[in-house]
Amino acid sequence: MSTSQNILHAPSARSVRADDAVPSVLDVSNLRVVFEGDTRTVTAVDGVSFSVKKGRTLAIVGESGSGKSVTSLALMRLLPEHTARVSGNVNFDGRQLLTEPTSTMRSLRGNRLAMIFQEPMTSLNPSYTVGEQIKEVILRHRQMSKKEAAERTIAMLRLVRIPSPETRYHQYPHNLSGGMRQRVMIAMALACDPELLIADEPTTALDVTIQAQVLELMRELQQKTGTAIVLITHDLGVVAESCDDVIVMYAGQVVEQCSVEELFTFPQHPYTVGLLGSLPRLDEKRERLAAITGTVPDMANPPAGCRFQARCPFRINKCAEMPALMEVSQSHFSRCWRAPMEDLVP
Amino acid sequence: MTQAPSSASAVKPIIEVRGLGKNFVLKRSVFSRPLVQIRAVDNVTLSLMPGETLAIVGESGCGKSTLGRLLMRLIKPSTGEVFIDGQNVTNISHAEMRQQRRHVQLIFQDPYASLNPRMTIAQTIAEPLMLHNIVPAGQRAKRVAELLEMVGLRPEQANRYPHEFSGGQRQRVVIARALAPEPKAIICDEAVSALDVSIQAQILNLLKDLQNRLGLAFVFISHDLGVVKHIADRVAVMYLGKVVEIGASDEIFSAPRHPYTRALLSAIPVAAPPSHQRSRAARLHGDLPSPLSPPQGCRLHTRCPHARPECKTVSMKLDVEASGHANACAFWRDLPAQDGTEGVREPRNPKLEKLFVAFEAMAARSAQTVKGG
Ligand SMILES: Nc1ncnc2c1ncn2[C@@H]1O[C@H](COP(=O)(O)OP(=O)(O)OP(=O)(O)O)[C@@H](O)[C@H]1O
Ligand SMILES: Nc1ncnc2c1ncn2[C@@H]1O[C@H](COP(=O)(O)OP(=O)(O)OP(=O)(O)O)[C@@H](O)[C@H]1O
Ligand code: SF4
Ligand SMILES: [Mg+2]
Ligand SMILES: [Mg+2]
Repeated sequence: MSTSQNILHAPSARSVRADDAVPSVLDVSNLRVVFEGDTRTVTAVDGVSFSVKKGRTLAIVGESGSGKSVTSLALMRLLPEHTARVSGNVNFDGRQLLTEPTSTMRSLRGNRLAMIFQEPMTSLNPSYTVGEQIKEVILRHRQMSKKEAAERTIAMLRLVRIPSPETRYHQYPHNLSGGMRQRVMIAMALACDPELLIADEPTTALDVTIQAQVLELMRELQQKTGTAIVLITHDLGVVAESCDDVIVMYAGQVVEQCSVEELFTFPQHPYTVGLLGSLPRLDEKRERLAAITGTVPDMANPPAGCRFQARCPFRINKCAEMPALMEVSQSHFSRCWRAPMEDLVP
Repeated sequence: MTQAPSSASAVKPIIEVRGLGKNFVLKRSVFSRPLVQIRAVDNVTLSLMPGETLAIVGESGCGKSTLGRLLMRLIKPSTGEVFIDGQNVTNISHAEMRQQRRHVQLIFQDPYASLNPRMTIAQTIAEPLMLHNIVPAGQRAKRVAELLEMVGLRPEQANRYPHEFSGGQRQRVVIARALAPEPKAIICDEAVSALDVSIQAQILNLLKDLQNRLGLAFVFISHDLGVVKHIADRVAVMYLGKVVEIGASDEIFSAPRHPYTRALLSAIPVAAPPSHQRSRAARLHGDLPSPLSPPQGCRLHTRCPHARPECKTVSMKLDVEASGHANACAFWRDLPAQDGTEGVREPRNPKLEKLFVAFEAMAARSAQTVKGG
């Protein structure tokens, strides 16, 4: 048990060592989130470790329900305290986020730490205009007059490519299309030049042209301000185009961690192989997509051993034991007994 | 206009719309005269046949969701007519519409907003069964469990509330609810966008199976062109409230006519290593003009790489080819040829292809041993 715990910590420690010059903004180690229900206890995040460097973008991909959103909510301290038990370490620029007083968290959020939520409608207030809501955030964290804040709001709306920002300023969230609401969220998150931006599916409702523009915009801002970005997305095209490093989650654990280049060149975990294999291809048409069969395990009582075993075509007897996250090649980690996958192809 | 659906064959469209338009008033004068208006949907004519999947694609804010709502008469059009199952429903009452709605279901873009937080998942899915009295009360629980399994959720999750689910899980609940009343057509507004690709593949396979089995028709609103290419028979491309191109999916992807369609295809992000990314040169640059005051003439002329002076005044009438393929560029026949697939060819790593093959072969083998044993 203790050895596997050590190996579990290895990746973040090692990748920091790999290029020491770039300081990491966020260091998460051994994060656990347990939801205590009346009848069942769910371990939604089970020992997750990663770090994000200044000016870099880390992608988190993974099965629906694997704990991506819960991970990000936990480190922003936004989970309901009476049901969610959070443990581990989250170091942001020298602060331990999990133990900071609530008041400190409140002044960090929206300012140095920003988050774009998965569902824009749940985080925009339906009874205020979108302009007022962004202005409010700016006024809370910046020394500015109301007029200056309103101007900055319009500039931000223009930056995320909302046409006629002066008119849109005065509209309510329900008057906007889904993609516009998402861009309003992005404008709000970027309004105070955060050091760390956590974006949970920020472009899912956006069409490809605007998606490309918004991602380019986030990149530009990143180059200017050195913002570190954690991008949660299931769109592997987006990962390929705009991220540097990636972690793949499955059933509450990190199962693969590597650079984006490595992930698409040759993945090292069977879940990732299945994931890449089930992508609809643009240059061929298949009657059925190759889906990974079966469903995710019940996180109230996950199986002993590898959590992917029930669905894994490569499983062997050894898979009944839990594999650790092991380094397969230089800075490429996989939680699988059969790695390296090179051995599986003739 | 774009397709002549009913005359030749006996098969009638499930949904047919003619000259459809929708204006939203953003500002009124003190006498409540409209001052600022948006033409969210402008003069759209199309039809949906049984067993067919029609995709609607286009930039954010171009009117896709509004068109989806109009197609099922959830909102009233400002101009034009809507026929569902041959019946003109443009002006029918709310109560009559409710009956019709069993046949045309909508999966909303925002799954959270469309689930009642105080109802369990089971209650949510059972509601349409009850409302339309489809399954006798005694068998409802069993039907709910079946529907949950269909969308890849575990039946024991039935008694939980929406907030206990992840984004993708909630989306699947919404899909199960839409399938419950056994509709003839489903309008899927970004229905799989929130799902990761492996579940997306499961759901897309499921939708296809249901279509083959029950002759279900889908209107598939999506910005994910990979998904659209996989599932659609026909594709309608919208720009600023107007359909600029409509035709068979294969044609749209292999030989896009309209410059906007071409630009859209070239912007698709490809899941390949960064060192193998396509050039971004062909992408559409510049901002989407305000729909409050769309450009005169061809609405694309402010951003079109092939624009010429006449484009500021031409009409956007659809030019219909013999095949039924139609597009709204007045000069499309003069455009430089572009091989559509050229733009979207995905680089392959042969070693990785072998790994995919091994994965599928082993998966098929273990599926067989499970069945056999
Ligand atoms: N408040 C809660 N109470 C109980 N369980 C919860 C709660 N919030 C999330 N969960 C559970 O925790 C697990 C992880 O959820 P999470 O939202 O992090 O998934 P995700 O990886 O973001 O998925 P998706 O891609 O679908 O958004 C899920 O199984 C979910 O059902
Ligand atoms: N209830 C409303 N009141 C006022 N304007 C509206 C309303 N609903 C939609 N609109 C406007 O109509 C236009 C089209 O919106 P719609 O939601 O149809 O876009 P969409 O193509 O679905 O975009 P997305 O891809 O972002 O979801 C937008 O400019 C939007 O602001
Ligand atoms: S450890 Fe075994 S079951 Fe798990 S992914 Fe690897 S081969 Fe498959
Ligand atoms: Mg999520
Ligand atoms: Mg929409």
